[in-house]
Amino acid sequence: MKTVLIKTHELWLETLMAGFMSQGESRITLYDFSDIIFRHFTWLEHYMIEQGKSYDYDRDIIPIKVDNLGVILNNINRRISELSLQIMACSDDNLAQRISSDLKYISATLAKMNNAPVSAFDSSRMLNGITLSQEATDALTLFLFEESYKEYELIMIYNYLQAHSSDAFLNRIFQIMIDESKFHLRSFGQMMAEMGILGVPRTIHKSLYQIEDVKKFLRDGIEEEIAAKEMCKELSDAVAKDSTELAAFFDFINFQEDYHISLMTEALVHYEGLENHG
Amino acid sequence: MTEVDETLIAHMSNPQNYGAIAVPDAMGIGENPENGEKVIITLRVTKQGETPVIEDIKFQAIGCMTTVVAGSIITGEAKGIDFPTTQQLIAATMGMLENVPPEEAACSEMVALSLQAAIDTYGHKQKDPNFGTITYKIENSCVAEEKQ
Repeated sequence: MKTVLIKTHELWLETLMAGFMSQGESRITLYDFSDIIFRHFTWLEHYMIEQGKSYDYDRDIIPIKVDNLGVILNNINRRISELSLQIMACSDDNLAQRISSDLKYISATLAKMNNAPVSAFDSSRMLNGITLSQEATDALTLFLFEESYKEYELIMIYNYLQAHSSDAFLNRIFQIMIDESKFHLRSFGQMMAEMGILGVPRTIHKSLYQIEDVKKFLRDGIEEEIAAKEMCKELSDAVAKDSTELAAFFDFINFQEDYHISLMTEALVHYEGLENHG
Repeated sequence: MTEVDETLIAHMSNPQNYGAIAVPDAMGIGENPENGEKVIITLRVTKQGETPVIEDIKFQAIGCMTTVVAGSIITGEAKGIDFPTTQQLIAATMGMLENVPPEEAACSEMVALSLQAAIDTYGHKQKDPNFGTITYKIENSCVAEEKQ
């Protein structure tokens, strides 16, 4: 089952990446499917925990560099075929049936999806309708690579914390943080695809999500959010003279970080309360 | 501001040798004590006569993208070379650190020291197979000084 978890993790990311490199209806459908597959991942993780089986978030490299969408859709369907067979090893028949049924529908829908050329790897570093200076383009490129990984890392960390917590107060916060990071990853991934610099975030080291000291993680995380706010502000300033629209987007992300800081502070206070009463 | 070109984009979007060798001959860690950032290198080593050669190398970074780029470049150069040449590569990397901004120096130093730790660990393991993993701590600060 460990292999099923790994392959589902890879399928989620590959489908999300296909969403970034596609357009219109196809993009929306691929985003919806990637969300469904992520939920499969969390169900399988829960199953592993219930069974007392060890697992981690390691995975293989996911090749995504294609010239047209049809190639990656075929790759996804090949992966779904393998996964559909592997999921039969799951002793929870209901879970296996539920996932198989979803995968069958996803596969049939992808097979009918229109092919289209992909420009997500052409390194044009141009955003539609926006002309940035070289300095602003470089700053945006570095930001997108750094932060797309960071958002993926946060999704996985909060997902791991949530999987191992039965505290409703904390799980509400973890779920919000996952949803916020998913939105950020989607926004940054789309921009990377548009600029022709799309890449799959690198794998996460175990020590980052198998956290021994959650309070330290939250305290460090608050500091990181403050630094991220500063990065957003610098980027907003750098692009403001070329695009008020893009500057407004980074101001929006900046102000969202305030909410994250509040939530992390709430979680920290809650942990300290648990310790004091425990 | 770092200038971005095709080569840098290639290292960022698809870093060379990223990951871990499942059953390595040696592992080494370079760590920044200031913020806990780390580079972990695993090696598979063969011998040409008596000289160890890096047959395969992988790295993982708990750190920023600059560290990943440094890891991608340095491990790319280290793959396939023998230990004496690896020592020259480490010395050359450390020698260049004075000429780069402090935050970039810290990242490259962390990679170079993790490689040094891995080959030193390999040496110890030849005498004691149960020897653990060496960790070296960097001296450069990752925090850039405020400009006056």
